[in-house]
Amino acid sequence: MGPTAFRLPQFRRFGSRLLFLIAGLVAISQVADYVLVKKANLRNAMERIDENLNQGAALFERRVNARLDELSGRAALMSDDYSIRQLFLKDQPDPATVRSALASYSVRMGVPFMTLLSPEGSRIGDTGGVLPGAALKPFQGLVKVASAADDARAKGFARLPANDPGGKLYALLVVPIFAPKPEIVAWIGLALPIDHQFAIDLKADAQLEVTFYCGSPGSMLPVESTLPEADARSMAPASVGDAIRDVGAAGQSYATKYSPLALITPGSAAIALQRSLEAELAPSRLLEQFLLLLLLASLGVAALVVPVFAQSLSKPLRALAAHTEVIARGDYDKRLDLDRADEIGQLAASFNRMSEGLAERDRVRDLLDKNVSPEVAAQLLSNGGTLGGEEREVTVLFVDLRSFTRQSESMAPREVLELLNRFFDRMSGIVEIYHGIVDKYIGDAVMALFGAPVAYANHADSAILAALEMRSALARLNAELATEGRAKLAFGIGINTSKIIAGNIGSSRRLNYSVVGDGVNVAARLQDLTRMSQYSADILVSAATLEAARGRYIVRSLGAAPVRGRDEPVDVFAVDGAE
Amino acid sequence: MNHLAAITLLALSALPACAENTVRVLTTDGAGKPVADAVAYLVSLDSPAPVHPPDRPVEIIQRDQEFSPYVTPIVVGTRVVFPNRDTVQHHVYSVSPAKKFEIPLYIGDSSGTILFDREGVVTLGCNIHDWMVAYVFVLGTPYFAKTGADGTANITGLPPGRYRLEVWHPRLAAKVGRELDVSMNGEATQVISVVLRPDRRIRRAPDSAGPDYK
Repeated sequence: MGPTAFRLPQFRRFGSRLLFLIAGLVAISQVADYVLVKKANLRNAMERIDENLNQGAALFERRVNARLDELSGRAALMSDDYSIRQLFLKDQPDPATVRSALASYSVRMGVPFMTLLSPEGSRIGDTGGVLPGAALKPFQGLVKVASAADDARAKGFARLPANDPGGKLYALLVVPIFAPKPEIVAWIGLALPIDHQFAIDLKADAQLEVTFYCGSPGSMLPVESTLPEADARSMAPASVGDAIRDVGAAGQSYATKYSPLALITPGSAAIALQRSLEAELAPSRLLEQFLLLLLLASLGVAALVVPVFAQSLSKPLRALAAHTEVIARGDYDKRLDLDRADEIGQLAASFNRMSEGLAERDRVRDLLDKNVSPEVAAQLLSNGGTLGGEEREVTVLFVDLRSFTRQSESMAPREVLELLNRFFDRMSGIVEIYHGIVDKYIGDAVMALFGAPVAYANHADSAILAALEMRSALARLNAELATEGRAKLAFGIGINTSKIIAGNIGSSRRLNYSVVGDGVNVAARLQDLTRMSQYSADILVSAATLEAARGRYIVRSLGAAPVRGRDEPVDVFAVDGAE
Repeated sequence: MNHLAAITLLALSALPACAENTVRVLTTDGAGKPVADAVAYLVSLDSPAPVHPPDRPVEIIQRDQEFSPYVTPIVVGTRVVFPNRDTVQHHVYSVSPAKKFEIPLYIGDSSGTILFDREGVVTLGCNIHDWMVAYVFVLGTPYFAKTGADGTANITGLPPGRYRLEVWHPRLAAKVGRELDVSMNGEATQVISVVLRPDRRIRRAPDSAGPDYK
């Protein structure tokens, strides 16, 4: 597999990605939980079963011994009974009396079979009934053992009748009759059936399935079992050992412990204790089912909650993205209202501050555009509106309405302003066309700069051409005024080119981009000269401007004219047109 | 267990021919301790010796809820009385084949005597007090004696002749005996080994009367 073989799925939506991530993590942790718990449960169950089986085997021994001890105690009481001794006062106990007496005692003790044996082991009598004479030999064997025992008692397991397919398991017990102790005048033999009830009782206490097998090694058959006959038969031990094995029967899996029972009769016997793995795991299964439910519930909750959560993230992000588009379009008035205190809320607040900032800048720029020329505004915005200055060569143009003061006396103020603005509008438009800027309006005059704040080479030509265009524009304006029945306007233009100081001039609160220097005065003076009859020209330029200009113009030299504040007179030329 | 090897030491006293001889028997267990309450008896192998029951009944009394004596050797035909010297009633019985009898609850002297007319061991018990046990050893020979605390028994009045010497004890595991000649010759000492079973007598109930309990 190459490194790119595994790739996380690509998601178009943040919610899907988050859902995949969280659901994946939940699923991994819960499934791991489930698997580990299941394994641990199985291991624990096997351990518990082993423990239970061993305990069950010990319990069986304890139960048998306890029951035999109890019977032994009762038999001891019985043997000391006066009426028993009465039987032996006779030369020969009466068989019928012995039988009925033993029947009575067997009921008292709760055992199905009792026998009375002589000290040497010959039969005096028994309860008859369920056990035939087959019991005699095993009891006689026990009598021998008991005769040599310290406590004069003996017990053992027997299959009665031995080697009979119908033979059942019994625990046999022999206790002495003393008259008096230690003189043994007879033995009492008792048979405790290891029957179905015994198996059921043991099962109730040990919580294990109980089966008793009899037969010979290799062919053991169940004689009693709490399991169905077929199950018990199929799980018959091949050999009798202590091993705990797993045996399956009828779709159930059983852990089985076989313990041999030593028989005093021929043949073999074993007790098999069994615990169903399913039964042992039943409580764990509940836990596992709960874990599965938890897994599904977790995934369900994740599926419900994550989209909501993702929505709470992606929705404001989409809103932010949309808002960015709005801002990109230049609409700074819209505000994002997300009402969140988290990072996204902070981001929205930052966006809003950015909008405000942009709107503010726009307003400032708008105002600048209206109050200063776009070039100055750009210059101001770019250098942050700092005070500064530079010396450079520029061409200054003054255009002034003649006799407008007198003319305006017969007009309403609004009309005056309207006419003035109309004139200024035309003139200013021409300045801008020729890349100049309107520096300021001074009464009915306009001061324009060419070559500042943006320096360019042919500023003198631009100024001259702009002046010529202004002449045409005035003619057009006058034609309009004539149709309106109003008086004509006349202007004078003065143009001078010189090195002057350009920059932002003013206080730190209020700045104007402007120029200062002697060259400005010269231009203003040339404009004044247009009023004088000896010049009779509407456009006057200085020799410096003509020198700076590269184009060719039709000019007339008008001689040198003195300029206030200057020692040298200025050579003045009237411009009639361009070649 | 403590199957004790007991050794019976026989000391034969030689006396003049017309005189009767005495056989002295010392019984000890394997640890060398003397064994009391053993009955040593001689059975003549030459001609059966007639037994003569005593005229007066032998007494086995009950005192402090015990039989006394523990072992009583008698000859066949002897009558025994069982006076009860306790303040509680006793119910004396035997289911031994040699003599089956009972004397139902009584106090003081029993109403009659019991005749022991068969040889054998008769084990006495009391139906009220399980721990009470005593033995009557009924013999068909007149030559017997019971060992005392020192383990010795003297069998007297023996005519010279061949005898079979046997020793009986309530806990005797196996019969012990040997043949011997009783003659005028001096004394002779013989050793017989016997095995005793463990003592399985019942311990008395704690509050039942000891000697101090009245």
